[in-house]
Amino acid sequence: MNEMADKYASQDVGSIFLYTHEAHPGEIMPPLRSMEQKFDHALKLRDDYGVTRPILLDALDGACHRRYGSMPNMTWIFNRSGIPVYKSDWSDAASAESAIQYYLDVAQRRRNKERLSPFRVERLDYRNQDQDQFYAGLERNGPRAVTEFRDAF
Amino acid sequence: MTDQDLIERYNYDKFVPDKFMPWMRFGESPNLGEKAPDFPLWHAETQKETSLSEIWSSHLYTVVEFGSFT
Repeated sequence: MNEMADKYASQDVGSIFLYTHEAHPGEIMPPLRSMEQKFDHALKLRDDYGVTRPILLDALDGACHRRYGSMPNMTWIFNRSGIPVYKSDWSDAASAESAIQYYLDVAQRRRNKERLSPFRVERLDYRNQDQDQFYAGLERNGPRAVTEFRDAF
Repeated sequence: MTDQDLIERYNYDKFVPDKFMPWMRFGESPNLGEKAPDFPLWHAETQKETSLSEIWSSHLYTVVEFGSFT
């Protein structure tokens, strides 16, 4: 997602990471109990995972995250008027990039005076599953995060 | 539910279905093509308050990835 952000920044596409709650809390990364702790966790995410996009924090009660469906790693794309044009219950750079390319083309077609009407479409996208990387991430949170995930599924 | 109850339930202490499943309501999220709800947000580095609308109004399109360290 960082690479995609860099790739399209010159075409007036902004990208942010919105920090929510700890989906898999553990001994090392415990559940959030204060905004100060949330700021600390967000900076640790930036440093440990190399997030280069601006990181914004939701409120401690997750008001924004909850209203948008509370999925642990979802992606939304908004236009300048605050209209969501894409929402995905999981984040996948290839899927989001495909959408951005489409909407940049829409913008160009509008500049060319084409008359366009929106319509809704649903489709399933597919992503690679990297279980090793996922479990390595859980281990960073603490042993309990690994155990609880194994027990849950 | 008090504000503190909400904060503790949302920031659950264990990844067990009873605690995380109730929050996953993607099907009830805002519709595409309709004005989206706005919320206050805070910059991680400066701790300054902004808003989702201030973010989305800054660019032709804005990609928002929701997530956390864990």
